[in-house]
Order: sequence, then C-alpha cells, then structure tokens
Amino acid sequence: MVSGIRDKVAIIGMGCSRFGERWDCGHEELILEAFTEAIADAAIAREDIEAAWLGVFFQEQNTGKSALPLSQTLRLPNIPVTRVENLCATGTEALRGAVYAVAAGACDTALALGVEKLKDTGYAGLPERSKGTFEDLWLPNSTAPGAFAQLAGAYAAKHKQSMADVKQAMAHISVKSHANGLKNTKAHLQHAITEEQVLNAPVIAYPLGLYDCCGVSDGAACAIVTSVAKARAMGLKDVVAVKAMQLAAGNGYEMSDSRWDGSYTPTTRLAAQRAYEEAGIKTPREALDLVEVHDCFSITELVIMEDLLLSAPGRGIADVLDGAYDADGVLPCQIDGGLKCFGHPIGASGLRMAYEVYLQLQGRAAERQLASPTMGLTHNLGGVPARNVASVSVFGRLAA
Amino acid sequence: MQNATGIVSYSRYVPTLRMQRSAIAAAIGWAAPGLKTLARGRRAVANWDEDAITMAVEAGRQCLHGQARDHVAAVTLASTTFPFADRSNSGIVVDALNLKADVSNDDAGGSRRAASSALIRTLNQQPTASSSLLLASDCREARPGSTQEMRYGHAAAALLLGRTDPIAIPVASTSLHRDLVDQFRSQATGYDYALEQRWVRDEGYMKIVPEAVQEVLSKSGCQPGDIHHFALAGPAAIATALIRELQLTNADIVDPLHDDVGDSGVAQPIMLLGKALAQAEPGQNILLAGFGQGADALIFTTTDKIRQTKARDIFQQSITQARDEHNYLRYLVLRQRLRLDYGIRAERDNRTALSALYRRCDAISRFSGGRCQRCGMLQFPRSAVCVRCHEAETQQPESLAELNGRVKSFTEDWQAHTPCPPLIYGNVTFPDGANVMMEFTDFAAGELAVDQEVRMVFRIKDYDERRGFRRYFWKSAPVAGTDG
Repeated sequence: MVSGIRDKVAIIGMGCSRFGERWDCGHEELILEAFTEAIADAAIAREDIEAAWLGVFFQEQNTGKSALPLSQTLRLPNIPVTRVENLCATGTEALRGAVYAVAAGACDTALALGVEKLKDTGYAGLPERSKGTFEDLWLPNSTAPGAFAQLAGAYAAKHKQSMADVKQAMAHISVKSHANGLKNTKAHLQHAITEEQVLNAPVIAYPLGLYDCCGVSDGAACAIVTSVAKARAMGLKDVVAVKAMQLAAGNGYEMSDSRWDGSYTPTTRLAAQRAYEEAGIKTPREALDLVEVHDCFSITELVIMEDLLLSAPGRGIADVLDGAYDADGVLPCQIDGGLKCFGHPIGASGLRMAYEVYLQLQGRAAERQLASPTMGLTHNLGGVPARNVASVSVFGRLAA
Repeated sequence: MQNATGIVSYSRYVPTLRMQRSAIAAAIGWAAPGLKTLARGRRAVANWDEDAITMAVEAGRQCLHGQARDHVAAVTLASTTFPFADRSNSGIVVDALNLKADVSNDDAGGSRRAASSALIRTLNQQPTASSSLLLASDCREARPGSTQEMRYGHAAAALLLGRTDPIAIPVASTSLHRDLVDQFRSQATGYDYALEQRWVRDEGYMKIVPEAVQEVLSKSGCQPGDIHHFALAGPAAIATALIRELQLTNADIVDPLHDDVGDSGVAQPIMLLGKALAQAEPGQNILLAGFGQGADALIFTTTDKIRQTKARDIFQQSITQARDEHNYLRYLVLRQRLRLDYGIRAERDNRTALSALYRRCDAISRFSGGRCQRCGMLQFPRSAVCVRCHEAETQQPESLAELNGRVKSFTEDWQAHTPCPPLIYGNVTFPDGANVMMEFTDFAAGELAVDQEVRMVFRIKDYDERRGFRRYFWKSAPVAGTDG
C-alpha cells in the first residue's frame, strides 16, 4: 500500500549562497558557499553523506554535464551522485531525488544541491538556446518573458478583466516582492520600487515591463536530508519534515490542444491537488502559513495563486490588491523576495524556496520572520505556460 | 481552339508594405536631389520574411484558388532573385503549395524575360490533360539612393495554363535575343548596374520591341488595329511612344503599376498580363511585350470565360489595403540594407539540421499535421500518440495551410531576436482541436487581439547568416486583404 512521502524524511541542514551577479564566482565557489552553510547547519560530517543529487539547468553555460561538477568540487568520497535537470524545477527535482532515496531506505543521509552560473553570457536575460533540431524549424524564437506574457491577455479575456487591472495587480506583486527582498541580505535585488515605476518601465514583452521580470542570477542552494527517525535519534527539536513532493509533467495538451485557453497552468493544478492530498491538507489557504511560488514573471504569480487553489478562479486580482499575499497578509507569498528579488539561478531556485520555508519554520528568518509558521509550500513551473513541468512541495514542522 | 492550352487562371501578389517614394526622396535627397523628380506614388516592399519564393507561393495559392491542385503537373518559377543558386527554388514552392510530389518543376532565371519566355515555351508544348503553373517573382534590392530604389517594387504573379475552360487563348508568340545590356547584375554584386535610360529607350525599347511586335503580328495574322490592350514591361511613356510607332490605334496601354507597386522585374510582364485580363472583355486581343536583352511578344484572345474570373481577382483589394511606410530607415532595416546592432543574443548558431528538415518536410513546408482517425482531432505537429485520445499511430496527414486560425494568446517580444522588432508570436487555434504556437507577420505592434482571425502564410522563419541558409515555415497573417 502506497503511503506517500509525508513525514518520512527530515531536512536537517540547509545552505544558500548569496544570489546575484556573482562576477567573483564560478560554479565551484557557489557550490562550496551553499554546502559549507548546510553541512555546518546539519552538524554532521561530510562522510555521513551517502548519496547526492545535483541540479543544473544550463549545463553548457556553466558546470558542464554529469555528476562530476558536484563530486569533484566537494571532493566527495566516490559516493553515488546523480545529475538531474527538469527546467526551472531542477532544484526541486534534486531534492526529490534525495528525499526519495531516504524514504526508500536506500540510505540514511543524502544531499541535494542546485547551482547555476548564468552571468557569463555577456548579455542580460536568459541564455539563448536551441529548442532541438525539429522544433527550431517551426517554433517561434521565443523568450521566457514572451512565453509567459501571453498568460496576461488570455487571463484578461477569460475573466473579462481589463488589461489595466491585470497590470495593476502585476505591479502590486512586484512592489511586494521588492519590499520583501529588502529584508533579505542574500537577495539579488535589495531595493524598494513603486507601482508607478513598474507601470512606466520599458516593455520587455507585451504586456510585461522590466519590473514584471525576475532577476537572472548566479547562486547555489543545498539541503541535507535524513529519515525522521534518525533526526529524532540525533536529538533534533523542531524537525522540519517533508509533507509532500509532487511533480506534474505536461503531456502536450497545452501545446497542441485548442481546449486549453492559455490563461492558467493545468500542471500546477494537478501537482497541487496531489500535494495537498499527500500532505493531508483539506483547505490550503488556511493550512499554509507561507508560499514560495515560481514568480518568474509577475503574471505567473497572479495566475499561480489560482492554480494552487489559494485564490478562487478569477479572484486573483482582487486578492492580490487586497494584500492577501503581502508580508502582513493572510498568506505571505515570496517573503524572501521570491525569484523576483532573491533571484533565479535556475538549478538552485527550488532549493532556495525550500531554504526559506525551512528557515521560517525554524524561526530563523531574521528580519523577515513570520509569526510561528508551521507549514509552507514551494512551487516551480519549469518551461513555459504552453508546456512545462510543475512541482509542488509542502514542508511542515513536526511536533516534538 | 477547345484543345489549345490557354490561360485558365491568373493572380498577382503584392506585399502589404508600400514605401512612399516621397519619403525616400526626403530621406536621401540631400545626396541625390534628382530623385525628387521620381518621388511620386509608392513602391511595394517585401517584409523582412518575404523573398521570391514566399511571394511566389502566395501568388500560386491565389491562382490555384478553386482549382484542382492534383491536376498541376508542372511548375516553373521564374526569377532573377532566387534565394538559392543550388537548391531547387521551385521545389520549395511545390511543397508549400501542397502540390503532388511528382510534379515536374524548374527554375527559370537569368533575365527579366525569364517569365515571358517560359510562358512562350509552355504554350508551345504539346497540350496535355494536366495543367502547368507559371510563377514569376522578383525581390530585387537596390542600392540606397539609386533610381532603381525608387522604380522597383517587389511582387509576384502567376498563371495557370491548361485546356480546361481557358479565359484567354494564345494566338501567336515570338522571342528575340539582342545582347543590349541595359542593365545587369553579376553574381558578385547583388545590385543592378543600369545604363543611361535614353540609350535604352532609343536603341532598346524603340527598336527591339517593334521588331518583336511586327513578327508576332505577322504570325498571328492580326492587324495593329486589332490589338485592344498593350502591356509593355517598361515605362508608360515608352509604351505610349510605341503605340504611336506601331500604329496600335485601338489599344489601351496597360498601366505599368508604377504608382502603387513599381517595376517588379521578372514578374512585371505577368503582372501586366494579369491586369490586362482583369480589364479585358470577351473576344479582345492582348499584346504582351517583355523586354531585357531582347524582347518577347505574345498575343492572346480572351474567351467568354473571362467574365467568371473577375470576381476572384483580389489585386485591387491588396492595393487599397496596403500599409504605407514612411520611415526610410525602417525600410532599410526590413530589407537588411542596414544592419542594426542585434547584440550578443543574436549570435546563436542557427545551423539547420537538414536531415531533420527532410524527415519532417511535410510538416515544415506543407504545414501538414495529423488528424486522429479515432477521435477526429487535428493536431500539429503530427505525433506518434494522439494528444487527445492517446491512441498510438492513428494520425493521417492533413495540411493546416488553408485553414484560418484564431488568436488564443500573443505577445510582442522586444527581447527576442528578429530582423525587425518586435517578434510577435503566440498560440493560434484551428478548427477540430489544433493549437500551434507560431509567429505572426504583417502585424504591427498594437494591432493584434485575442480571438482575432488569422490566415496562414508561408514565410522565411530564420536566416543562418554564417552559412547563407534560410528556412521557411508558416506564420499567421491578417485575414483582411487576402480573403477575396
């Protein structure tokens, strides 16, 4: 009988490098920065790590292929290391690999590390890449902002909202994330912005302006996991356990079937439903204390709040403008600044989200600490709305 | 005459953009004040993603409208501006027109008379039950500040030739070669080198064309006064002088379309023949003269069927719905006469996997998707497993090229690399379930809306500048202006 992942695996140590334009660092320094913090936090010896998962997306831009960038950088003692890649869900996929290994009983202690060194391309924005030999022949030479921007028009048309109202909510989202990032010393962007600035910014891909887009950052994040039983045996209090880790991979429906209306991400809805079931959550808006979602663009966050069943369909704009997801709202979203301001080193992002939830659940989030949260969610949307993988994970504090 | 090969259908395609000649003169007249005397009307300009091939495809689609494509057994594409020197240009057109794969196709070039000469050759062949498609398309670039830049226009024209219900029957034709080099373009330069127009007029048009016309009149048994329409691929003033010289006392000059299109090179004789056919009444004689290192002359007599084709001619509509361009700099960028700084992002290698292109040629050139024989859903690209019912190997090829779509979502992307920003793309839905993320063309920023209807056009998708290659795919374009 399948019992799921809930409460089987504990996170006992996490680390996260400073995110940003790390002109001073290559991937090795970033890996070491995150790992050093995590291993100290876990208070174990590196020899205790029995298996590791490495998440890297743009292998050709930074680390190269395979497990070796991790095993070689840290001089790991020839343990099994697996490199995973699943678009922007890569970091979460590394964590899922480590968590599954521990849950399966294959090992006691495992490491998940995600890293991305993007700022060696010589230009702003994400690196240009081929979509493959066949798809380059017909798919538009789209960019990430252009692919996500399309959500806005489709959402406005579906819910009969004016583009002005959609943009107002998008602006609120970006202003909120900048306000949150201001309190995060590891964040890429640590400055406040105004709605006026957002609305008057240069257009990147209609209707997205500059401030609707997240930062392109360098960074690494790392988690060390073990079984809940072992965590308790280690005498740990306030154990942060994995409640759910779900992934929904698109099957081409959005891409090829006219019935998808382009205004939401079906994969996120599926992953969320499964994750809530796995975590035993009936009413997510009440059960969750914070969410870290894939706010690659402001419009994505708006749409995702509905896809995660936190806002009712068509109610996202009103909830956002009411401040429901602000730092002092009913369900703070991106309390660390999110992809928008903490930054988005792709392979590290899922682990960065888990890092923030982990800190918050342990009451260690310094200036941005929320009042005694017990359950938090992370979400990644890898790819573009028309085709993607969506991951939804839930982490919670276990009673002593 | 029932069994003779004649003209069954004709079409003319002119790109949407029109450069105002006054704007050219205003922009570059400081260096070439003489251009001011030519600054009348507007010339057709191909969009950045159009060339002789894509324009020919559009002319061919119009010409084949309502015709059985399976009856087309031969295709000739005439041009002096073929994108490829060694790759069948007409072959690309055959695929894009979704013609039978065993069509006989050839490329005719080397002269502005390539199309009129090919027309003569085709008409002189032994008649067969099947039909031939003659396409003439030219996308000549001109050096900035030149008179050619003012005079030329980009356009394509097509004729469907066959025995079924012809609208015009050939009476006689002749072809003369004279190596009077009024202008030339070597492989190396890319621009035309043109000689003094007075010499071309006096020694060329006024001597060589009359020689050809006398010959064709003599062959046909017609008298000069029997000609009702005189179409000369040349300036209107010379056509007027030739009418006097040749005593074509009852002939109307077919307007050379200077004010709205410009001289379309190889396409010009076929463009003018189309215009003459659009004007002609049944039983009238049309004299067509092509010029360039010699002359071609043909006489056609129209039949009763000519009345039925007029409703199909959407040329006038394309003139009224053209988009005026006043920005000379933008025109230079569009035609890649001026290269913007596209940044490092544009440096990505764009090599085409030609084995993959060959494997999926039907999808790329013919826009062929798959229709699931189990659930009926149409999808693109055709795939191993149906996206809706998940049944394997159920899809039969079916082209989306002639379907209209609706805009589901779109963006105007200022970051994506394109020769003329922004790159506009989005999801387009089709009847019976298909959805394709694709590029839009001939739209300006701010013109698209969700749920708008669009039609499919065959265009250049990408350039590979490193290797001089270009690849084509279908894009969504405005419905207005092409839906006659």
